[in-house]
Amino acid sequence: MMDIFFDLSVRSVRLNFLRSLLASIGIVIGVVAISSMGMLGTNMQLSVKDQLSANVNTVMISSDVVKIRTTANVSTTSSGIDKSTLNDIESSAGQNQVIPIHRTSTQFTIGSTDGRGSIYGLDPNDIPKFLTVDQGSLTKGGSDVLVGATIASNFNLNVGSRIKIGPSNTANRPVVRVAGILTARGIASDGVNADTAIIVPDLWYTDHYGDKDVYDQVNVIVQNVDTISDVESAIDKKVNRNTQIVRISDASSRLTSITATLGTITTFIMAIGGISLVVAAVSIFNVMMMSVKERVQEIGILLSIGTEKGEVRRMFLYEAIILGLIGAIVGGICSFVIGYSVVNAMLGNTTYFFRPESLIYIPYGMVIGVVVCIISGMYPAWMASNMDPIDALRSE
Amino acid sequence: MSQEPLIRLTDVSKVYHLESGDFTALDHVSLDIQENEFVAIMGPSGSGKSTMMNHLGILDVPTAGALYIDGKDVAKLTALERTHMRRDMIGYIFQKFYLIPLLTAYENVEYPLILKYKKRDTTGKAAEMLTAVGIDEHMSAHRPNQLSGGQQQRVAIARALINEPRILLCDEPTGNLDRKTGFQIMDILINLHKHGKTVILVTHDPKIAEYAHRIIELEDGRIVGS
Ligand SMILES: Nc1ncnc2c1ncn2[C@@H]1O[C@H](COP(=O)(O)OP(=O)(O)OP(=O)(O)O)[C@@H](O)[C@H]1O
Ligand SMILES: [Mg+2]
Repeated sequence: MMDIFFDLSVRSVRLNFLRSLLASIGIVIGVVAISSMGMLGTNMQLSVKDQLSANVNTVMISSDVVKIRTTANVSTTSSGIDKSTLNDIESSAGQNQVIPIHRTSTQFTIGSTDGRGSIYGLDPNDIPKFLTVDQGSLTKGGSDVLVGATIASNFNLNVGSRIKIGPSNTANRPVVRVAGILTARGIASDGVNADTAIIVPDLWYTDHYGDKDVYDQVNVIVQNVDTISDVESAIDKKVNRNTQIVRISDASSRLTSITATLGTITTFIMAIGGISLVVAAVSIFNVMMMSVKERVQEIGILLSIGTEKGEVRRMFLYEAIILGLIGAIVGGICSFVIGYSVVNAMLGNTTYFFRPESLIYIPYGMVIGVVVCIISGMYPAWMASNMDPIDALRSE
Repeated sequence: MSQEPLIRLTDVSKVYHLESGDFTALDHVSLDIQENEFVAIMGPSGSGKSTMMNHLGILDVPTAGALYIDGKDVAKLTALERTHMRRDMIGYIFQKFYLIPLLTAYENVEYPLILKYKKRDTTGKAAEMLTAVGIDEHMSAHRPNQLSGGQQQRVAIARALINEPRILLCDEPTGNLDRKTGFQIMDILINLHKHGKTVILVTHDPKIAEYAHRIIELEDGRIVGS
């Protein structure tokens, strides 16, 4: 070994092996707490991010203008995007897919059970652009519809099932036939919550609800997600050139705020883990003070034969670093195992555990553990180096 | 003598401030020691012999008066300069040996070399020095607590000599040893003096003091005879 002071520290730690080991356990616990909390938080963030970012490439456009219309002597307020606005959107969206969407909510009856859900009216050609069919096939038009996974399982729907649309007290309700059942898509960040919806062809929709050429929402699916803000501003410039006609949004801002919130939570739970390191710091400090007190005469010898104060300081800091490294290495290994179990238990899924963003918390926790040890060792080391050599020599 | 002395104390006093009042351990001591002198310091217990040695060894600084070593005013040096002077100019041999318990005999002797050159010794000097004081290779690997008193003192002498100091301070080096071993240690010191070292020796034993050129007698912190 190059440095005799390091050698001395190693020997001192070995001489008091049990005591040193016990002090290191505090560091182990601290490192495990910080790393596994950090990993848990990151895994949470990553899984939420992946769930939400599925449709993050979609720009949602809805109307900002409320129109009052009179249909069959009933005046209804609605906000819609009209044909000319849609044309403007299409012309400013470039190569990207533009999907006009009709939406309303309705009651329906399946067999003898009544239910309630959304109805989306979509061009049958647009449906496969963002929805996938789990069973059956896509609708080709007419009164063939698709149903969301939640509705399908709640009402035991199969391909070929019939649904009566409209409140149960109305006569001559239209009947649609289930052509396919959609794959569950969870929280959709493109505004199309298909799981609890019935997707009907746009012609069927306008036949029954009117609203021809007036859409409730227009989605633009952007091919390259990095250009999303350019697309948004192009649409904004064209459509909202005089007055605010449509509201343009996408999921990325929501995603950012959710991940930021999760990040804050992660930091907070890591800080709680960090408290255990404070306890560890106290025990390291205690052990270092004991080591200094026990070795007063040795320190006197070192100083009296010409050891520099800095060298004495270094010797004790090495000791603190050794304790820290033992704690950090053991803690790092434990973090891996415990972190994996915690993530598995809390999230039920460890897909993201081995990602660098998640594993980085292990070295991160280890470094913090060692730094805490160095800080705890600073005062004892300083005290040792500032002893009066004669007083130190005289002590027994 | 016109030659500048290696060590000069002018009116040196050391006062310890205790709760029971001030205690004067050295009381206006003036003394010159030339290069290659062999000086014995004698006096009853508590007369200030060790206090004087600690001043000569630059472990302590006078409360009043001036101490010059090799022409330098010790009080004017920085702490680091004093440390380096201790390391390079002075070999200190203690009654209680004061070897570093965690190091082997060999490493104890190598240690001052490491302090000086900031690296492990590869010249074999430490091993040579141990042989010179009569510690064989097998013994060199022992820790201090595995050695006899005489062996420990030999190791301590080797450690004191390794950086070729000009001044050798020996505070009752034979005090913890039997008579026979004590004389063996004295033979080593006499031999070193013959090779040009300035040796300052504290002893209670008049037989041992006989080896010296000059005997300084201390009593209550004052020089009462030389
Ligand atoms: N650090 C100190 N604080 C207070 N008093 C001290 C201190 N060091 C020495 N003394 C006092 O100074 C006096 C001289 O002590 P010193 O150790 O020099 O005596 P000595 O001549 O070496 O004695 P001995 O032969 O027993 O070793 C003693 O009375 C001692 O109590
Ligand atoms: Mg003494």
